[in-house]
Amino acid sequence: MTAILEASGLTKTYRRGREEIHALKEVDFRVEEGEFVSIIGPSGSGKTALLNILGCLDTPTVGRVWLNGIETSNLRERELVRIRRDNIGFVFQQFYLIPTLSARENIELPLLFSRKEEEKERIEEILEMVGLGDRGDHLPGQLSGGEMQRVAVGRALINDPKILLADEPTGNLDSGTSNRIFDLFRDLNRQGLTLVIVTHNTDLATEAQKMYTLRDGQIVGGEELAFHGR
Amino acid sequence: MNFFTLAVKNLMRRRGRTVLTVLGVAISISVLFSLLALNTGYEKEMNKEMKSLGAHILAVPKGCPYEAASLVVHGGVIPKYLSERDLQNVSKIEGVDIASPLLMHQGYSKNEETGKSVPHIIYGIKMEEMRKLKPWWKVEGRFFNDDESRVMIVGRGLAKYHNLTVGQVLPFGPEGDGFTIVGILEETGDQDDQFHFLPLSEAQRLSRKEGKITTIAVKVDDLSRISEISAEMERIPDIQVVTMAQVMGTIMNLAASARSLLMTVIAIAMIISAFGILNTLLMSVNERTREFGMLKAIGASGLDIGKIIMAETLIITVSGGVIGVVMAVAGSSIIEGFVKGILPYSPRGSFIYISPELVGFSILFSVALGMLCGVYPALKSSRLTPMEAIRGGIE
Repeated sequence: MTAILEASGLTKTYRRGREEIHALKEVDFRVEEGEFVSIIGPSGSGKTALLNILGCLDTPTVGRVWLNGIETSNLRERELVRIRRDNIGFVFQQFYLIPTLSARENIELPLLFSRKEEEKERIEEILEMVGLGDRGDHLPGQLSGGEMQRVAVGRALINDPKILLADEPTGNLDSGTSNRIFDLFRDLNRQGLTLVIVTHNTDLATEAQKMYTLRDGQIVGGEELAFHGR
Repeated sequence: MNFFTLAVKNLMRRRGRTVLTVLGVAISISVLFSLLALNTGYEKEMNKEMKSLGAHILAVPKGCPYEAASLVVHGGVIPKYLSERDLQNVSKIEGVDIASPLLMHQGYSKNEETGKSVPHIIYGIKMEEMRKLKPWWKVEGRFFNDDESRVMIVGRGLAKYHNLTVGQVLPFGPEGDGFTIVGILEETGDQDDQFHFLPLSEAQRLSRKEGKITTIAVKVDDLSRISEISAEMERIPDIQVVTMAQVMGTIMNLAASARSLLMTVIAIAMIISAFGILNTLLMSVNERTREFGMLKAIGASGLDIGKIIMAETLIITVSGGVIGVVMAVAGSSIIEGFVKGILPYSPRGSFIYISPELVGFSILFSVALGMLCGVYPALKSSRLTPMEAIRGGIE
């Protein structure tokens, strides 16, 4: 297996007023192609900081990151835009859907920025894939929380990313809905997509193939999990 | 999907705010549009009014020459008069082509139904000379001869207003003599539409001003000699000379200062409105900072986000501009009434002049306004790093 994502010696420090905060302390991290990885840890442990650096939204204070063999830790924002666009799909806790766009249009939105053709079939395929085949014309306000997060997942998939990063994707959902979102993640993984999910829900985290635990900016545990393969 | 539809959808998220902002732009653009329409229209209408007098120089009794000139143009009574001798003296000056006496009088007629007196402006003229001064005059019926009595012609506006027809007899003057309308002037579009024209001698008899005249309208052979001729006329005692160029110049100066005051007020209004737009934009941009973070995460560059904001701004200002122009055109008569109250001298006719260039300029101005107001919020948002955006602003 080849590493699609690799980080070594990641340190992230930022200031909040006079206080210096060490979000990450010399973290080494590696994700193989086709893996489903979860990261857990209490709030303030640096999970989100790690995910943002891995996703090229942020740069480390010290350390290096390689995405698909390209070192991203020393690139400028202009170059990072293209890397994100071509390689990474993001899912957030708050969904961030545009309320006046239909589910279908929200999913199409990244194509506006990647200047790709809107292929009708591909969009319908994705709607099907995230389980919203008959909901494409609904506005976010007409959808349930779980359905909104499915739209967000669809939006993350439209540019055919190599890796999907999700920051607390079930943080705003009840447990039944959360389970079904994870089912969706597993389905996607089975189709070959690499996933890194940050969550503080330990039960769900164990559904992944690998689970890392972060505490105070350091990885304190990594487990290979028996992948249920359901 | 494109940037335009995305911007429209974004604006629809806060319909109320969008509508109010558009309305704010619309009001300022409509004021700007009206003022500019006025600027061109006023001068045009003034020129037309001065030309419609047909004379180059007016000889008026000593007094305030501009008031006299204004009364001659608009109608009214000046309590001072010139005499027939003055007229002869003026006619004798070399270079004077026509020197035509005019007598202005305010008369009353009895309305047969209500019994009330209705005021009329009576203009005593020498028809033959008048027709040389105003060769564009056309009449329904016929013109009168200067030696006829108890005849008149009336302006088209007056005829319409009072339902006058050729052949009708109007009781005029203190004895209620019957005057026959022998002709109705074709519409001239100027003040002539509102007057009763009588033979000079009849007007003098009616107003008991035998041998007196209000003003002498002079047409010269050669326009380049106007100043020479007017200097000559000044030598006649009792007479004050007003050239049309002077009248125009003075009125235009007065109007210009009134307009520059208006312009200042409007410039201030524009600045306030621009800050209003800017404030709304910054508010809408600030509350969406996290969303911009998301957009960056799903592949938008800073430039893309700037484009979205510029598109939103331009949609607001341009639709405001279009609505503003429509509003200004629809409400031009109200605005005209307001402005007429401010300007020291206003032509009688409508002077809002709407040209395609002006419409184009106003729309262009709204584009410029959008560019100006949008550039800072757009720049501000496009420069946010993804992390700043996700955290909800610069910490």
